[in-house]
Amino acid sequence: MTMASLATSARAAIAGACLLLAAAAPATAQVNFSGEWSGRYHEDQPDRVPGEEPGDFSGIPLNDAARMFGDSYDVGRHSVLEEQCAPYTLPYMFFGPNQFRIWQQVNPDTQELVAIEMHLGTYQQHRTIWLDGRPHPPEYAPHTFMGFSTGEWNGDILTITTTHIKQGYFRRSGVPASDRTTVVEHWMRHGNLLSQVTIATDPVYLTEPYIRSQEFVLMDRGNTNWLYNCEYAMEVPRDKNLVPHYLPGKNPWTGEFEAKHAMPREGVRGGAESLLPGWKPGAPAARPDPAKNGGFPAAVLPQPLPAGEVRAVKVQGNVYLIIGAGANIAAQVGEDGVLVVDTGAAGQSDKVLAALKGIAGGKEIRWIVNTTPTADHVGNNEQVSKAGRTVNGNQAAVVAHENANERMIQRGVPDAARPYNTYFEGSRDFPFNGEPIILYHDDSSVNDADTVVFFRRSDVIAAGDIFRTDSFPVIDPAMGGSIDGTIAALNRLLDLTVPSKMLQEGGTYVIPGHGRISDEHEVVWYRDMLVIIRDRIKDMVARKMTLEQIKAAKPALDYEGRYGADTGPWTTAMFIEAIYKDLTKTAAPAPASAGAR
Amino acid sequence: MKRAVLLALAVAVALAGAWSGVSAQRGGPAAAPLTARQAAPIDLTGTWVAVVTEDWRWRMVTPPKGDVSSIPVNGEGRKAALAWDLSADASSGNECRAFGVGGIMRQPGRLRISWQDPSTLKFEFDAGTQTRILTFDRAAQPGAEKTWQGFSRAEWEGPGIGRGPEAPPGPGAGPAGPPVPGGGGQGLRGGPPPRGASSIQRGGSLKVVTTNFKAGYLRKNGVPYSEQASITEYVHRLPQHPNGDDWLNIVTVVEDPRYLSGPFYTSSNFRREADAAKFAPSPCKTDAPLPVKTGKS
Repeated sequence: MTMASLATSARAAIAGACLLLAAAAPATAQVNFSGEWSGRYHEDQPDRVPGEEPGDFSGIPLNDAARMFGDSYDVGRHSVLEEQCAPYTLPYMFFGPNQFRIWQQVNPDTQELVAIEMHLGTYQQHRTIWLDGRPHPPEYAPHTFMGFSTGEWNGDILTITTTHIKQGYFRRSGVPASDRTTVVEHWMRHGNLLSQVTIATDPVYLTEPYIRSQEFVLMDRGNTNWLYNCEYAMEVPRDKNLVPHYLPGKNPWTGEFEAKHAMPREGVRGGAESLLPGWKPGAPAARPDPAKNGGFPAAVLPQPLPAGEVRAVKVQGNVYLIIGAGANIAAQVGEDGVLVVDTGAAGQSDKVLAALKGIAGGKEIRWIVNTTPTADHVGNNEQVSKAGRTVNGNQAAVVAHENANERMIQRGVPDAARPYNTYFEGSRDFPFNGEPIILYHDDSSVNDADTVVFFRRSDVIAAGDIFRTDSFPVIDPAMGGSIDGTIAALNRLLDLTVPSKMLQEGGTYVIPGHGRISDEHEVVWYRDMLVIIRDRIKDMVARKMTLEQIKAAKPALDYEGRYGADTGPWTTAMFIEAIYKDLTKTAAPAPASAGAR
Repeated sequence: MKRAVLLALAVAVALAGAWSGVSAQRGGPAAAPLTARQAAPIDLTGTWVAVVTEDWRWRMVTPPKGDVSSIPVNGEGRKAALAWDLSADASSGNECRAFGVGGIMRQPGRLRISWQDPSTLKFEFDAGTQTRILTFDRAAQPGAEKTWQGFSRAEWEGPGIGRGPEAPPGPGAGPAGPPVPGGGGQGLRGGPPPRGASSIQRGGSLKVVTTNFKAGYLRKNGVPYSEQASITEYVHRLPQHPNGDDWLNIVTVVEDPRYLSGPFYTSSNFRREADAAKFAPSPCKTDAPLPVKTGKS
């Protein structure tokens, strides 16, 4: 035996010994949470069971943006058609009345625990907590009410991290939870008692993590209350697009809560400083520390696409999202060929074409539709068109509304990069790959040239820039854009979207001009935001406030942390100015909407 | 290859024998039993501050008389709550009723935990200047006189008991003494933890059962618990949050056949502080409730 073979044998021996020992090691630390559990509401019961009272923000480390959101919140928001059946999101789910069933998903070959599954009776939600080490999805992935969860054992404590949660509320009094919230849970079991701690981090609305804990008791006998019957419907004759909200300073319930429950007003307003012993009314506000909201390992946070990478991701049906090339690109693929919606920013054509080739299955690019004439959407028109071929042998046809062509001419876009197949009517449809393709146009949304593309069988909409998840809409009055037109375009988008169940999730997916794959829930929150901000500015204009006074009053404060910017090509100030200019272009603007009180 | 397999079996048998030998020594007559401090699977010592994110209006201020919201009181409990008299408590020397074992965890304050001796944990509260003694000594018996904090028996629960100081060092284990939880992504995904892994993978909690206490208040406004109640607590040290915060979670279960219609569950959360600089003992004092107004403030 040589030295080398001896060493090999020794290594094999030690490895084999370790394997044998490992196989003999007992599974001591895991706790089995399986069973049916019911909540106990011995803390904050009035909030958690009958429902929160308006104006109560006590006990929450929230910021001024969240307070503004809460002050304008009218519980009538839940009468909006698209919000009637919307579930609580994870940051609140376990606080409301709840019972849930837990079971384990085990790999049949190895008997290793792969995931813990939950069915929650409230709003009939399903949740999977992955324990197999998989990373969280990228940030462009759709968000859900329950989010994406991974777990790890810390002894007999199960620690769960959840991201990709839709917008919702931390409290039913209208304290908002943004879609950038990360929730860490710790589960502990003692006999028939399950204790759950949740720690929510939301850099948009909280100044520090928000910790809460609650108890659940194993149910002795099964309960049949596992389904949630909700049918959204207009129950009173009114504008179905009404968004109930209160204008700043006009919430009639302000002050009622503290008076009724003998509380100091400063305490009712919440804030991190009010959570600690010794707090007294008048205490200075805690200084926000951004580090308090950080520290998460990259593996559990939604990661952006690496810079310079262009990637194709299937949305559903025949439709893909191509992300990373400037504005979002959509592509529909089938037997007839490829239809491309927008072509991204200039200089990315090689990557865009490579991504298209990867999903095309050898089929030709036949059509290109431009949703808007801006450079980040149409920058590779020429190259993508030349790479494709219509059935009669020409390069792929570029379709857009005729206003888009006009706007590109004004911008000096060369002929070869402009649409030469334009339409002028409000909508146009045509079949492709066996499904109806419907183009919708508004004379004035973010500009006067936009097109929304509806893939009717795939049930996917490419919305262009009337809807985006990365910023306030870039409304350009100089190009015919208007706030009311943008809201109207969003309302029609809501008419087209249908959730997969009554519970407001999935169903029609919406590819925004920029940002992540969304569904109706994201669109309705975006629409609501624009209505609320527009109404505030309208009210300020009616009160003869100047543009500078309006900017100083921060009418978009409650959304700035999510959609605003102080620098860059589209700042919050520019957004407010665009609305102001739009609203003041006529001598007497219409009053705020009927939903504003 | 056959030789390698035989060698592997031999090494495995040898290692397994060595392990069982260690195990036998642990349980054998020659080895002294571990003290509670040595057996601690988690380190609870330090100064912790209550972070009042729940029941704020019942904990940070004195709620109005008769406000029993959230508490499963029975008729007698409700009646007793309505009979609460703050000034009578003061004049009779009973100011500490809201600071007894049934209510102290809900008081906004700081909690300092230390080992009084190897078998006794000490919980000191600056709110009301209260001290709880938690004994792991099974032979210990309560005194003749009932006290605000009663007599607390403690025991460790969980998979890591008794393996604290003797366990092989892992990524989360401290150099000496009870292991410090790690977490923040350092835990174990999926299957069971390997033998002898880091302390955070062993975990554990403290169970405390308290008896022999004087009647007191579950809430500042006189919602009562009686001397017949039993109080069980579970103390968890949570894995470190990614931002560096360390949290203590204490679940309290009060069962009182006199005043409650069923078990009363609360859980209180405390954040670790770097030192005891803000630990400021104060006397038992309950402010009078603010007046209830019918309109807006």
